[in-house]
Amino acid sequence: MIWFLRRIGTAILLIWVVASIVFLAIRLVPGDPAELLLSQGGVAPDPATVAELREQLGLDRPLPVQYVERFRLMAQGDLGRSLQDNAPIAGEIARRLPRTLELILAAALFAVVVGIPTGVLAANRPGGWLDRWALLQSSVGLAVPVFVIGTVLVLVFAQTLRWVPAGGYVPLARDPGRHLLLLAMPSLAIGIGLAATVFRMTRASMLDVTQRDFVRTARAKGVGPRRILVRHVLRNALMPVVTVLALHMGTLLGGTVLVEYVFNYPGLSGLLVEAVNARDYPAVEGVVLVISVLFVLLNLLVDLIYAALDPRVRHA
Amino acid sequence: MTRLRRGLIIAVAGIAITALIVPMLPLPDPVRIEVAHQLAAPSGAHWLGQDEYGRDVLSRLLWGARTSLLVAGASAALACFFGIVLGLLGGYLRGVTEFLAVRSMDVVLCFPPLLLALLVVTLLGPGATTLIPVLAVLYLPGFVRVVYAGVLTVRSQDYVEAMRALGAGPIRIMVRTILPNVAGPVLVQFSLAAASAVVLESGLSFLGLGVVPPTPSWGLMIGSARATMNQAPLLLLWPCAALSLTILTMNALCDALRDAVDPHAGPRFARRSAMDALLPGLRPPPGPVLAIDHLTIEIDTPYGMIQPVRDLSLTVEAGETLAIVGESGSGKSLTGLAVMGLLPPAARVARGAVWLDGRELLRADEATLRSLRGGAMAMIFQDPLSSLNPVHRIGAQIAEGITAHASRQNREGDAWSRAVGLLRMVGIPDPERRARSFPYEMSGGMRQRAMIAVAIANNPRLLIADEPTTALDVTIQAQILELLAALRRERGMALVFITHSLPVVAEIADRVVVMYAGEVVEQGAAADVFAAPRHPYTAALLRSAPTEDGGLPEGIPGTVPQPHDLPAGCAFAPRCAHRVPDCESVRPPLVDVGPNRQSRCLRWRELA
Repeated sequence: MIWFLRRIGTAILLIWVVASIVFLAIRLVPGDPAELLLSQGGVAPDPATVAELREQLGLDRPLPVQYVERFRLMAQGDLGRSLQDNAPIAGEIARRLPRTLELILAAALFAVVVGIPTGVLAANRPGGWLDRWALLQSSVGLAVPVFVIGTVLVLVFAQTLRWVPAGGYVPLARDPGRHLLLLAMPSLAIGIGLAATVFRMTRASMLDVTQRDFVRTARAKGVGPRRILVRHVLRNALMPVVTVLALHMGTLLGGTVLVEYVFNYPGLSGLLVEAVNARDYPAVEGVVLVISVLFVLLNLLVDLIYAALDPRVRHA
Repeated sequence: MTRLRRGLIIAVAGIAITALIVPMLPLPDPVRIEVAHQLAAPSGAHWLGQDEYGRDVLSRLLWGARTSLLVAGASAALACFFGIVLGLLGGYLRGVTEFLAVRSMDVVLCFPPLLLALLVVTLLGPGATTLIPVLAVLYLPGFVRVVYAGVLTVRSQDYVEAMRALGAGPIRIMVRTILPNVAGPVLVQFSLAAASAVVLESGLSFLGLGVVPPTPSWGLMIGSARATMNQAPLLLLWPCAALSLTILTMNALCDALRDAVDPHAGPRFARRSAMDALLPGLRPPPGPVLAIDHLTIEIDTPYGMIQPVRDLSLTVEAGETLAIVGESGSGKSLTGLAVMGLLPPAARVARGAVWLDGRELLRADEATLRSLRGGAMAMIFQDPLSSLNPVHRIGAQIAEGITAHASRQNREGDAWSRAVGLLRMVGIPDPERRARSFPYEMSGGMRQRAMIAVAIANNPRLLIADEPTTALDVTIQAQILELLAALRRERGMALVFITHSLPVVAEIADRVVVMYAGEVVEQGAAADVFAAPRHPYTAALLRSAPTEDGGLPEGIPGTVPQPHDLPAGCAFAPRCAHRVPDCESVRPPLVDVGPNRQSRCLRWRELA
């Protein structure tokens, strides 16, 4: 219990640090955001307009005041308004976040379904044909960047074979079939690399656990190979795999940018790229903050899952 | 492996050299626009054709390599330099410096990497000058951790202490002793960072947030070729292929470097079919519970084939305790594992036969062995903590062995209550509650008792105990020995007790087999061997044990020979006080020196 509370305390502290860094990074960077924003096109902006924008963004007030105000609003779920269309940023994030999460989960599902069984089978006969074949495939899967996989998928399946649309998004409620069809390609593009990682981790972990003393004990008891695999090896071997997968999913929170861009998928990362290109500071700040907080929370979740799987962790 | 590594280094070097010498190659200008030749097919002047602005594709590809590797190399080098400095300072000076240098890195890890890069690009604008420091910051924590960990392991070692005692300053110590030690991991980290930087640079450039056009970059080329992928799909495929192949080679080099730096090379797997080559056991089944007949075990090591157990024969009767004694590496444990059919994958039986109640084990198939293991024969392992599964309750681990051997009808049924009964039998208080404990919740003595309960669950005829008391303190040790002796008396088991401790042997064994460097050097009734050893090694072992009257134990000079470097004659000759020239040239046979008594010494008569 104490372990549990301490772990949650650390997570809250990390979230505070992350929020502060994002806040400071935007405000302490050389050059005034308001001026940068208005000076696009190389024309020096009108000082009065700059002052007006500074006031609108609250940049004219002293930093500590801004800091307190920012955290007060954040506690109420208010992340400010977009400079592009003056819409509340929190609302836009709430609309787009589920789409990105769905994408990541679909990719993770693919990675687990492909990676874990292949890893288990490959580790069962190290050096066998399946092992060598899967190792080779995973090297390729790890080497080809997601946006290359995505682009090639579009070229082959959308442009040449015309089996699927090149990209876009349809809500599940409106057309479930088309929704899943549009989800398939981007999640495949992410899932291939992820599956390669999951495969490698599963294989390495299986090989490691198979050599442990307690597996030898189980064999010394006369337990059959299938039961040893399921009860003794898998349970212990999958723990590091779960961790790595979850951490990768966290990285993906910011890493779907490229795939969302390739498939024109209106997720959270797409919002970020739009905001970066439009120099929409409040939006960038909001998205980075939300993703980082989710990242920290996901790490917390991993630790909790780990504790559930391994009784030793709870008491360490 | 080394050939593969050399090939990879050449491949990466080839890409790097191409990138370096691109300006000197007779290539068209990568940014010169020829509107008239948009998307032109490959020609003599333009081998890979021209892009949507009529620029030469081959030239842009090669210049793109330059951009990628420049950004990757520069950011990795920057991160490497600062990472080494921070890691050294943090690990060596400790205190506040440690906190600032090492813990602050955790903050960087709070952000998904691509996101952090995007945030900084928003603030500072795109371009290589922004990209390099951003990527450097992303890879900094990796370097700091590697160096910091290296410093912590090295700083307390004797030679560092010695240098400090000699008056060397901290900078000198760091540069001379610590850096060479962490060089391997840092090199691996460098290759990982560079490979990852190539991916990130191309990704950001693809989004238009990395390198600024018209600089040729693979990411930019892929991004702009997307618009024309229908008319000119090759335009898209060339940079995709170049990028993917570069990353593939760099990843492979990373793997190879890691294997080279990491001492845990992959295990070698001996093929099981080697078992079939064994001579068939032609001897009629003998009477004892366990009979080992001329057993030789081989392991294929990087030094060549070694034989850690050679020509070992022994028998154990029902109700008898046989102790196998010897130093670490004498082959005791391998013998036990060979009987159980649990040799590690690298080891295999080369010759010999093992009989359990008249049934030959080495040629038995896996299903037969499985029905015997945990049934007619059982084994207790040295370290109860690692030998019990950490994620299952003790009771379940005992019950599992019972269920595995129960007939199909009464499976699961009363296995749990029998497990509780076994825990009570091995002297664990409150067994109902303890059965629900996890191994980490028990003391070392209790874990070993549980381990014994696992082993005796199905009333084995033969129990092999491999140093069951080594990990325990002396009082617990005595209790465990008592428990084993009682179990043997009550159940008439044959007990094989593997140990390096002579006082333990004296307490428990009826007969003793002394092993040295993989061979039996002496065997006989325990009382006889203790009273009058017939081999100099046994005598030396007896002298090296602490005596009850408080006399000082005497060490044995020298060390056990390595299994790949055995002396030509008697294996013990180099350490033997009684050796004569013959000992160093003739390998002594095991000879009968009395009733049920054997010694492998040429001079046993003189010793008597």
